[in-house]
Amino acid sequence: MDSDRGENGDSSHNHVSKKPKLSAFISEEEIRQEFSHHQRGIARINNGLARIQNCCKGLINADSVDEVSLIDNATTAAAIVLQQIGRAFAQGKFQKGDVVVMLHCAFQSVKKSIQAYVTGAGGSVIEVQLPFPLTSKEEIVSEFRKGLEKGKSDGRHVRLAIIDHITSMPCVVVPVEELVKICRQEGVDQVFVDAAHAIGSVPVDVKEIGADFYVSNLHKWFFCPPSVAFLYCRKSPLSSEVHHPVVSHEFGNGLAIESSWIGTRDYSSQLVVPSVLEFVNRFEGGIEGIMMRNHEIVVKMGEMLAKSWGTNLGAPPEMCASMIMVGLPSRLFISSEEDAMRLRSYLRQHHGIEVPLHYQAPSDVEGGPKDKDGLVTGYARISHQVYNSFDDYCKFRDAINQLVEQRRSCKMLFME
Amino acid sequence: MSRAMCMTWRHSSRLFSCCPLPFTSPLLLAPSHFHYIIPDIIVSHHHSHLLSSFTQNPSSQSSIMESSPPHHQQNESNGTHNISKKSKPMLISESDLRFEFSHHDPSIARINNGSFGSCPASVTAAQHHWQLLFLRQPDHFYFNRLQPAILRSRTLIKDLVNADHVDEISLVDNATTAAAIVLQQIAWAFTEGRFQRGDAVVMLHYAYGAVKKSIHAYVCRAGGQVIEVPLPFPVNSNEEIVDEFRRALMRGKANSGRVRLAVIDHITSMPSVLIPVKELVKICREEGVDQVFVDAAHGIGCTDVDMKEIGADFYTSNLHKWFFCPPSVAFLYCRKTPETSPELHHPVVSHEYGNGLAIESGWIGTRDYSAQLVVSDAIEFTNRFEGGIEGIKKRNHDGVVEMGKMLASAWGTNLGTPQEMCASLIMVGLPVSLGISSDSDAMKLRKHLRENFGVEVPIYYRHPKDGEVNPITGYARISYQVYNTIDDYYKFRDAVNQLVSDGFTCALFPK
Repeated sequence: MDSDRGENGDSSHNHVSKKPKLSAFISEEEIRQEFSHHQRGIARINNGLARIQNCCKGLINADSVDEVSLIDNATTAAAIVLQQIGRAFAQGKFQKGDVVVMLHCAFQSVKKSIQAYVTGAGGSVIEVQLPFPLTSKEEIVSEFRKGLEKGKSDGRHVRLAIIDHITSMPCVVVPVEELVKICRQEGVDQVFVDAAHAIGSVPVDVKEIGADFYVSNLHKWFFCPPSVAFLYCRKSPLSSEVHHPVVSHEFGNGLAIESSWIGTRDYSSQLVVPSVLEFVNRFEGGIEGIMMRNHEIVVKMGEMLAKSWGTNLGAPPEMCASMIMVGLPSRLFISSEEDAMRLRSYLRQHHGIEVPLHYQAPSDVEGGPKDKDGLVTGYARISHQVYNSFDDYCKFRDAINQLVEQRRSCKMLFME
Repeated sequence: MSRAMCMTWRHSSRLFSCCPLPFTSPLLLAPSHFHYIIPDIIVSHHHSHLLSSFTQNPSSQSSIMESSPPHHQQNESNGTHNISKKSKPMLISESDLRFEFSHHDPSIARINNGSFGSCPASVTAAQHHWQLLFLRQPDHFYFNRLQPAILRSRTLIKDLVNADHVDEISLVDNATTAAAIVLQQIAWAFTEGRFQRGDAVVMLHYAYGAVKKSIHAYVCRAGGQVIEVPLPFPVNSNEEIVDEFRRALMRGKANSGRVRLAVIDHITSMPSVLIPVKELVKICREEGVDQVFVDAAHGIGCTDVDMKEIGADFYTSNLHKWFFCPPSVAFLYCRKTPETSPELHHPVVSHEYGNGLAIESGWIGTRDYSAQLVVSDAIEFTNRFEGGIEGIKKRNHDGVVEMGKMLASAWGTNLGTPQEMCASLIMVGLPVSLGISSDSDAMKLRKHLRENFGVEVPIYYRHPKDGEVNPITGYARISYQVYNTIDDYYKFRDAVNQLVSDGFTCALFPK
């Protein structure tokens, strides 16, 4: 691995020796250097997750390396898991109408993958509504139970449950362990946890969680370059049915081996994982320390913004990791996804702020949380990673306050 | 706004990446002075006046940071660079050429361009620029830059291969992925009952191993049967191939009646033979084959690639093999017809599912798309050679034939094909005394040549036919590319002569 570092040609940084430094952890200055390629002038509170290979198994407490495959990203993992479901329908192993259960806020590409491989093959889909905003994990658990009931109605079989560990939009930490237990109790065949954001964000123990499939991106929160993810597949009699969709020489040798060669391409982002471990160990407490500080600070920043804007947080701190949903002032009149996108582009172009925004339609029954002027229908998903500074969040706070003061709603943006 | 960009507005993004700087540098052994980092400004010097570029005013480069990589600056601002649009670019000099491939291991005679291709330093620099642009502000890159850049590449390829419409050109990782895409729709057709159990897929016996496995995975599992066309090797004429192909189609039709797909290599991998694809496609049409897929992994930059001339339904070629792109990028051409074309999908389903293969392939989740974005830089590179890519192809062909004949003459062997049945790869018989008697021997000999003689060349084991006297059972597949010199082939010639005079045989390898 030392020779790899030499060949990276990175002569502008001091080489980090393999032994942990006895002196100080990584300094502020060094952090700034490491991220000097980020665009200056952008308050970047929008981040992601990452994964690991051989080190992976240790990090996630898998039993064997055979259970850990390296692939491009969670999207690819979804295709892998769902293709085997599709094949089972095609081969008559599942009955037409057998069910796949997912959260309604599952990531868009996963939904499309379900459409392609499940609905297309004759399966049906049940969406579990994730209440949002929410105040406790019990709200999620009860909705999930309801979804499973529905799935089992009319004598149908629930063949697969897809559960996000940390949903994308809106972003909450889902009690996956509990939901997996319920799945087992209710006779669900397989459970696939889509944990795109998990590793480097929350502790990950695949045996504790107990799912059949678990995927997490290493390029989001684990400092790997784009892109690399691990897909954990618990050893089972069905393991040989799971294949990488790009078939190459290693077809039939198990998913982990198949994934290691899918034709000529650049595999380099998979190869830097050990260097990444070195990087995180330059921080106090290693990755655990980073996770803890990211969480504490993002909660503090979320509370700071909510207080300044007079709004609310979308979920309690214990249901967040290194991202949190912060209500946007109702006076911005965010009344559609398009409005949210518009505001996001506006913030990027005119204020140098990069932050994803979510539109939350008011519920028919209760309406929703309010600030002093009306219903809160927009939320910002802020993140905290080691390269962020307090100024990033102040910049965001001030930009929103400015818009509100100027009485500018979303629809008025870009109209000068 | 293009449709592709409209689609992306609606999706909240899963977020991209944050990656510390040391991990972003490519692992290639690029000369350290080739590009350097000033705080917040990345400058890359990759236009043809490589040495003189160091004297250029860096401030003219700083505006590049926020816009396209240097190549596009050249096209957009006429007066500010050494090369104006109007004047012909200077042809690449010997020393520039050495410079462009100075990251190649100098201790190796590299005569296997066929396996992994090659990429000049100026193109990898452009790639690196795109990588850093993404890391700098990934959201902006995703929403505003990526799709226009992919469309640009696809448009350039459409012109290069004489396709009618840019919709017909999708960018994927490699021919292996293209095969999975084409075969997946065949599998669906079986599953949905549009094809009957026992309908056939025809392929060449020398089809690439990974493609064979893909056919097995997607076709056999879904109930289709596979017919292999045996090909003679050594081969003496196109007629031999055409005859075998006709016979295989007859077999297919006799067994089940319908041949649903023919998978035809444009240039087979091992042994390497230039196949008369145009003729075979014609025969397929005459014989009522539903679809024809040409696997031209070795196609673009190597042989003539004209979609309308060849007339296949699907055609794939890797750009990283013979078209100087970095690993990895390939195009998959899907002919648009007035009748309903089969619906092809990328197996990794993402936001763009249902918007056509070309758009689907433009986003298959967060990953590094930079290799797809430097097609223009690769074209620019080829234009620094006399005659551009056509000139390169011709000289490669002449070069590999000449070297092949030189080696065959030196060893007292023969070539595996006549010279008109090869492009920039040729099969050269190895001396019988080397005793290559299995695939394993061929692999071991290859390793031996790499480790003990510094020669990289793939070796093919040819099973002798019954009754052959003193058959040649081993062939080397040599290649010729712009970075090769005659010394590479002398080194190989001398290595083999040494082995022969030492009395070496493959039987000496430990089991």
